[in-house]
This record gives sequence, structure tokens and C-alpha cells, in this order.
Amino acid sequence: MSTEAAREVVRVEDVVKDFRPGFGLRVKRVLHGISFDVREGEIFGFVGPNGAGKTTTLKVLMGLIRATSGRAEILGSHVGEREFHRHVGFLPENPYFYSFLTGREILHFYAKLSGVPAGQREERVETLLDWVGLGEAGDARLKTYSKGMLQRTGIAQALVHDLDVIFLDEPMSGLDPIGRMEIRNLILRLRSEGKTVFMNTHILSDVEMLCDRVAVIVHGRIRYEGRIETFLGKNARMSEVVVSGVTPEVVQSLEESLGGELRGHGERIAIRLEEKHVGEALQLLLSTGADVVSVTPERASLEEIFLSAVQQGESDPEAQGARRSRGLRGPGNAPGREDS
Amino acid sequence: MILRIWTIGHNTIREAVRNKLLYTLLFFAIALIGTGVLVSTLSYVEGERILQDVGLAAIRLMSVGIAVFVGVGLIHGEVERRTIYTILSKPVSRVEFLLGKYVGLVLTTWMMLGVMAVAFAGVSLGYGAPLDGGHATAFLLIGMELLVMVAVATLFSAFTTPMLASLFTVGVYLLGHLSRNLRQLGDQADAEAVRPVVSFLFEVLPDLESFNVTLEAVHQLPISPDVVVTAIVYGLGYTVVLLVIASHLFSRRDFR
Repeated sequence: MSTEAAREVVRVEDVVKDFRPGFGLRVKRVLHGISFDVREGEIFGFVGPNGAGKTTTLKVLMGLIRATSGRAEILGSHVGEREFHRHVGFLPENPYFYSFLTGREILHFYAKLSGVPAGQREERVETLLDWVGLGEAGDARLKTYSKGMLQRTGIAQALVHDLDVIFLDEPMSGLDPIGRMEIRNLILRLRSEGKTVFMNTHILSDVEMLCDRVAVIVHGRIRYEGRIETFLGKNARMSEVVVSGVTPEVVQSLEESLGGELRGHGERIAIRLEEKHVGEALQLLLSTGADVVSVTPERASLEEIFLSAVQQGESDPEAQGARRSRGLRGPGNAPGREDS
Repeated sequence: MILRIWTIGHNTIREAVRNKLLYTLLFFAIALIGTGVLVSTLSYVEGERILQDVGLAAIRLMSVGIAVFVGVGLIHGEVERRTIYTILSKPVSRVEFLLGKYVGLVLTTWMMLGVMAVAFAGVSLGYGAPLDGGHATAFLLIGMELLVMVAVATLFSAFTTPMLASLFTVGVYLLGHLSRNLRQLGDQADAEAVRPVVSFLFEVLPDLESFNVTLEAVHQLPISPDVVVTAIVYGLGYTVVLLVIASHLFSRRDFR
């Protein structure tokens, strides 16, 4: 989907967070001046390994912890204010609810806190229970719910006041494949209804499937921010062409003029070359009577690129700290920030 | 704001009444009230007064026990289990959250006080001991003392661990009942430096003996309305100050 010229609903500018472990004077810096923004109507993936600072960032945005310096805004309001919370929902990681309440009761509880008028509460709660597929389990106590059901209850409580932006912290964490598929479908449905989704996650397949844009955080520093396609290195994909019956002259021509990389030998060989040269290579091969067996586009998986970013961060943390996060180069051939 | 505080308060009551510790303390309170019957038989005179003295002392002690041990756990539990995350993500301020927990806890301790009062009245009537307005006043002021002690527990649990909060609250309770003796001790002290320290402690610590009219109630002595009004105003004022400090500390806290 297009997010061109969409308004910013979340803006984080040079946010630093220091913690003081214990009673000593030593300070541990968890966020090193991070900056990014989230635009209206998109699914934004905030990606990073465990301990990178994802949850800390989300807590700063939710006002659960205060930034040491920098500025964070949601819907144009400073995160220290309360009023914008009427338009925002939040699902913490592994949410816990009062186990003695039923699904229906917990939604009524959050509806009251969210200021849903008394006359609309009943209808809103019933709609949400159906929406997340808990209509029949609404009168069961939460202590009897499975992890997937609790996660769906968490999404329902976040949506109880018909919001504009929803923040999800590891929404697929600990779920089985069916549970993950259910939550993925709910997230896609939220976007189709025009909601903005901010998702903290380290499950990269979900990022690839769901997110329009991502920010990658490693060791408390943003390593990349931009569209997911760019992050995956769309412009520099490689392809492998497997052919048989090709002459040595043609192979030499492919290597020299198109930068092809020969793999294997004998009757059937594989030539690895940049995707933009594939058409030209195929023309040449077919014109010389070669038999094209297969053309397979290679794409670095998000996982590979992500691990590369993590390794880069681990190998050079201090040097990264000297630079401002927003100007950093991303992993591989991806830029540090893509202004789409 | 009121609806949000009440919603949290109401939920706090629902959570507290499921706490087994609450019923353990309530059981011991009622057992102690009943024990008064046994103790009173040891004396040939004033058996009724001994019965009521023991009963009221048990009620005071167990009520504070409920305020401290149940109260401190409830606030800490919200942070530990992270239920506070979803609540504060709603348009609920931290002050509203804290006041909601406070209101719920006060109402829980008052409900338990009510149950203990009924047990006390039942044992007294069964034993033939007199009951009058003095006893009602004693219960009213125990209720005021609970208002203060729950505020003390709330203050400490707003910024420290349950263990420390419990210790501090019990410490304040003990010193609060000794604060008048502390001042007398300071007045009699030879060392000049001791007096301002003792005087400061007396001013800062709650004077919990203001809420103690057990002696008057048991001996059916008149209780001046001035004493009652002063105790109520003092209790309310002290509670407000404690809650303002607790709110300030809680608002600055990071929920890591």
C-alpha cells in the first residue's frame, strides 16, 4: 500500500533512555538517541533482537517510562500527556489480565476506563468479542483461556475505544501456527479498516508478510528505517540461470559482458548474475540454441539481512554511537533511512 | 475521573476478596474475639470489659494487618503482572490509578472491619456485655485509623518493594502508637540535641493514639465530640498529605 505523503502519527526524535541499575552511580544507556516516524494507515514493524530496546521504546511511547532526553509524540501530542490515549490502543508482550474476570467482564472494565459511554458499552463489547472470535467464550473466566485466546482478548481490549493507532508488543510471541495466523489476519483487518499498526517483533517472517515499513534497532540504535522492499535489497537481487548445451564461447561472453558467475561444469551449468541482466542473458542463450532449465531469483531473506545488521552492530558498537542514528547506513546495500 | 477511580477501586475489591491472606487474617481476628470469652473467665471481676478489650485490640491489630499485607501486595502485583501496562495505556492517569487502588483497599478493609464488628457484637451480646454508642465511636475511629494506615501502605508501595513497604508500614504503625510517649521522652531528655529530633518525629509520624478510644468505649466513659471531630479531621488531613506524596512518587516511577 502507498504511504506517500501520509501524516505522521508517531514521531520519535533523538530519544535517549538511561537506566541506573541498583543504587550505584553507574548508568546504563539503553536507547542511544533513536529517531523514526510512523505514518497513518501503515503497518510499521519495529524489528530487533532481544534486548535491542524495542520494548523500552514502546514503554516510552506509552508513557510507562520517561525518556532521559529527546522527544516522542503520538498524534501530535507529547507522550507524557493523557488525552491522546483516547485514540491509542496497546497490547503488551504476553499480556496478563485479571484471571478472576470473564472475557466479557474484562472488556467492560477497559471500556469504562476508556470512557466508552454507558449506553454503547454493551454493543461495543459484544462486537469486539465477535470480531476477535471470542463470542462464545465471553462468559468463561480468563484463567481458562489459552494463550491465543488471551492474545485475542488483549487485542480486543486495545480496540475497545475505537482507536486510530494500535501498538503491539510481540503479538505473535509464544503462539502456535494457527494462533499466529489468526493474529496476522486481525492485524491485516485493522489496516484494511484504516488503523495504523505499530508492531514490535523479532519474528521476521511476520515482518515480511505484514509490514509496509520497518525500523531495525540493534543495541539501542536504529540501523535502518524505510520500506520493507528496500530493506530486502530489491534492486540488487541476483538470479541463477541453469542451462545445458551451452558453448564455452557463450559462457565466456556471459562472464565478461554481463558479469555472470559460473558455477559447476559439464553438460549442465549454473550462471549467477544480477536480475537486471537476466533478460539479456536469456536472449543470448536461446539464440545460440542452449537449453534453459530454470531461472531462479535469489533474494537475501530478511533474516540474513537482519543478522548482518546485528553482527555489524556487535562488531562496531562504539563507532555507531558516535554517529547520529538517522544517518546510519543500513545493512548490505540498504540505506540507513529511506524517505519514501 | 470519578468513574475511572471507582472502576479501578471496584476491581481492587473484587481482587482483594479473592486473597486467601485476607481470610486468614479475618479468621484469626474472629478467633481472637472469641478467645476474649476464655480470657475473661480468668478474672472474677470486669469479665465483660476484658472480653471487649481483647476483642477491640484484636480488631485493631488484624485490620491493620489486612491493610498492610493485602494492600502492599495488591499494588505491587499490578506492576509485577504488568496489568498496569494496559490500564495506563487507557486515558487513565497514574494518580487516578493510585487513588483507585487506595479507595478499593480502604473499602475492603472497612468491609472486613464491618464483619469483625458484627462478630464482636455477637460475642458481646452472647456474653451479656453492654453495647452502646461508645463502641460505635470506637469502630468509627478504627475506620479512620485504617484510612491513614492504608495511605501509609500506599505511599510505601508506590516506590519500593512489597517487603520493604510492609516493614516500613508496620514500623510507622508501631511508632505512630508510641509517638506521644516519644514526645514525653524527648521533653524529659537531658541532651538538648535530642529534643528537636524527637519533636520532628512527633510532627511527622501519625499520632495513631488519636484514634484509640477503646478504654472509654469498654469502660463506658463519655467520649467528647471534640475528640472525635479532631481525630476525623486529623485523619483526613494526614491521609490527603500522604496520598499527594504517594501520587508524586508514583508519577515519577519507571515501570521497567
